[in-house]
Amino acid sequence: MENYLNLLSHLMLLSSFVLMANKRIRSYIKTFRMQSALIGTTAALIGFESFSSSGRMDVLVVSTVIIALKVIYIPNLLGSTLENIDLKVEKDFFLNIPILVLISCGIVVFSYFSISAVEGINTGIMNVQIVNSISMILMGILFMISRKNAIGQIVGFLVIENGLFVTAMFSTEGMPFIIDMGIFIDIITAVLIMGVMVFKINEKFESADTNKLKNLRG
Amino acid sequence: MTIKYLFQISIGLYVIAGFSAVILSKWHKISNTASNILCMAASVFGIAASIDQLISAQGPVILWKINSSIPLMNFTMTVDNVSSFFILMLSILVFPVSLYSIGYLSHYYGKRNVGLFNTLYSVFILSMILVFTASNTIFFFIAWEIMSVVSYFLVVFESEVEENRRAGTLYIIMTHLGAALMLIGFMIMYSFTNSFALNSDSALIPEFYRNIIFLLLVIGFGTKAGVVPLHIWLPYAHPAAPSNVSALMSGIMIKTAVYGILRFIMIYLGVQNTWWGILILVIGISSALIGVVYAFVENNIKKLLAFSSIENIGIIFIGLGICFIAISTKNETVAALALLASLFHAFNHTIFKGSLFLGAGSIHFSTHTKDMDQLGGLIKKIPIAALFILGGSLSISALVPFNGFIGEWLILQSIFAGIQPGNAGINILFILTVTALALAGALAAGTFIKFFGITFLGLPRSSHASEAQPIPMVMNAASGMLVLLCLVIGIFPAPFIQLISHAAFEITGVSVAVNFKGSFLLTAFPLSVSGNVISPFSSLIIFLLSILAVLLIIRFIGGKYAEKKYGTWDCGFEGLNSRMQYTATGFSKPVKIVFRMLFRPSRDLKITGDDTYHPESMEYIMTTESIFEKYIYDPVLKFTERSSGVIRRKLQTGSIHLYLIYMFAAILAAMLYNRLF
Repeated sequence: MENYLNLLSHLMLLSSFVLMANKRIRSYIKTFRMQSALIGTTAALIGFESFSSSGRMDVLVVSTVIIALKVIYIPNLLGSTLENIDLKVEKDFFLNIPILVLISCGIVVFSYFSISAVEGINTGIMNVQIVNSISMILMGILFMISRKNAIGQIVGFLVIENGLFVTAMFSTEGMPFIIDMGIFIDIITAVLIMGVMVFKINEKFESADTNKLKNLRG
Repeated sequence: MTIKYLFQISIGLYVIAGFSAVILSKWHKISNTASNILCMAASVFGIAASIDQLISAQGPVILWKINSSIPLMNFTMTVDNVSSFFILMLSILVFPVSLYSIGYLSHYYGKRNVGLFNTLYSVFILSMILVFTASNTIFFFIAWEIMSVVSYFLVVFESEVEENRRAGTLYIIMTHLGAALMLIGFMIMYSFTNSFALNSDSALIPEFYRNIIFLLLVIGFGTKAGVVPLHIWLPYAHPAAPSNVSALMSGIMIKTAVYGILRFIMIYLGVQNTWWGILILVIGISSALIGVVYAFVENNIKKLLAFSSIENIGIIFIGLGICFIAISTKNETVAALALLASLFHAFNHTIFKGSLFLGAGSIHFSTHTKDMDQLGGLIKKIPIAALFILGGSLSISALVPFNGFIGEWLILQSIFAGIQPGNAGINILFILTVTALALAGALAAGTFIKFFGITFLGLPRSSHASEAQPIPMVMNAASGMLVLLCLVIGIFPAPFIQLISHAAFEITGVSVAVNFKGSFLLTAFPLSVSGNVISPFSSLIIFLLSILAVLLIIRFIGGKYAEKKYGTWDCGFEGLNSRMQYTATGFSKPVKIVFRMLFRPSRDLKITGDDTYHPESMEYIMTTESIFEKYIYDPVLKFTERSSGVIRRKLQTGSIHLYLIYMFAAILAAMLYNRLF
């Protein structure tokens, strides 16, 4: 059991690296779909475990919701938004991809440096799952920083959320059911609004480049 | 037990006064009269309760206790002797000021919301009572803020005048600056004692942090008191407010700062270092001197009184400073005497400054101007007000037999008592303090000669003065009441000193009042200090005798004389007119020249016409610059404005990615902190 979870955790981290190295916007969405599927599997594993040991159903329910929402619904929604935008490949980055991957490696090392010493978060000797999931959060932010395209921003935001969910899942077998559900509803609304906004931005500025939105400041 | 009920009735009446003003606000006259009469009744209860508390030897009385389940939200109102002394000052002032408002606010009828004004007025009084009775720092701070904000609303009540709005803005900025520093001090207290209560153990605070708390509180309270160089709001805000509010602000609100210093520094922290006292003494000396010099050259009657308040708060601080030094050098008698003198002067200042501000309000009410160069000859138009302002001026100039003399005399006595062999540095400082006080006293007398002489004597300088309106009875009665009290305290000081010594006793634990050789008829003898005692009683007798002697000599030498009336100084021209008299500017010119350093005067004489000896017209313009604003406040303001502009442009670029980088950096920093600490 422990081994499977470790494997899944490493695969999730790997998917973040894959995401970081992507250039095509359609493959952002594909990678996100893959990462969400890994998370759904993890939640399902933990859910079966807790159902068989203490008869709790809630983590199982959460895992089905994740699969429905993050594997099927949101990627499809983003895909249909993408149809309306000309840009298919991200061209200019603030930093090029090899450097971003190197920074991501640095982030993992740094998370290891910071988190591994914390006691009581996880039962293992090294809190490797926590380290991985916190690296995921940080890489989500880095992804948002490095991409100029609005869909890239949305995917980065969703990756941060994934990281947070996995951190909670690994440290405490998930947050209370009602809170998880609340967060999912938040995400649906956020993604819906952002999808509409990207469409509008593209229409108005003839580009979905967020770097051009600099007029709104105090 | 009865004391508690008296206080509660007083507070309840203020609350009712506030509500009734709002409820009746449609009928201006009824609302104004009703709420002010209620305030007067409340103040009578307040006077009775606080005197009762001072005389009775019982401990603190708990007025109200609010316990809640929210942490740190337990409020208690406690009245001890120090609180009740300040409530006594407040109540004594509120009674005549409310009486005055009945007449004074009549010029707002039909034009302004008098109901709102009276509500703010009642809340202002209530907030000061809360400041005096709060028993933990959170409650104290809330009350302090209510007081500041409500007084701001009262300052800008005539908000259509640009000058008033500027004054209000300056006031609220300065007062919040002080409050912020105070709050930091309170937080440092909490971080060491884990309690906001005022009776918690201050011994838990290390020496170094005590010094810091002291500095923060002195700056915080000093801003409210208006000591130099934190005084800049005071000469703008006090004249801008309606006169009844200026009387309250100058009479009692600036003394909440004195209360704060007593409560937090003397009672809570305890005086440890001699330099604390020296700092307060130096602040006091500079406020007294600079305040009075600025007062002397001021031509606006209310600004003149505001600067004079700075002088008097300086004198009060001098007393406090001597008390601090005496405590730290373990000289209990001098400490008790200085504290008593300082509190007594505060008490006196409340009364005579109240009466003077009410008088200035009467002048404004009657002539619609505050500019002395527009006034003159008012003694014939409004003789009763003139008499009372003369009384107030004599009192503030510390002349016998008014109360101002007794307070300053006691402070001088305590300085002389503090000069003891063996401590050269402090002795020199004390001697210099005496000199400074003497100079301030002389200049204060000159200021009020100018105030009274230019305003009331001579010929009217403008139509404002020659068409002065009569003043309602209640307004004259109100200022007369205060002047009468000045005279009574001046003649029979002993019972008042006894009363105040109860409050001073609670702080120093030493009673000096019993040592006073009190003669009940004229003035009390202060302590006999190393044989150097000037008896006010005998000096008064000598003064009266010498006047009698001069009169007799004139009578003997001159013999009988016939009376003949003619204009003395008109040199045979067509008679005296108002342009031949001293102007207010001209009167104060010597002082402007002597204290050139403070004023930086510049002159400009414009002559039109060909002939220098027979010009068509001459224009003389004299300008001064206020050095505190130019050399302290303006540079700070400019620096802040410039640097915050630069920082804003650098930090807030509008780029989403940059904002994300800030978040990223913050998270990384937090993670690093987690590992390293």
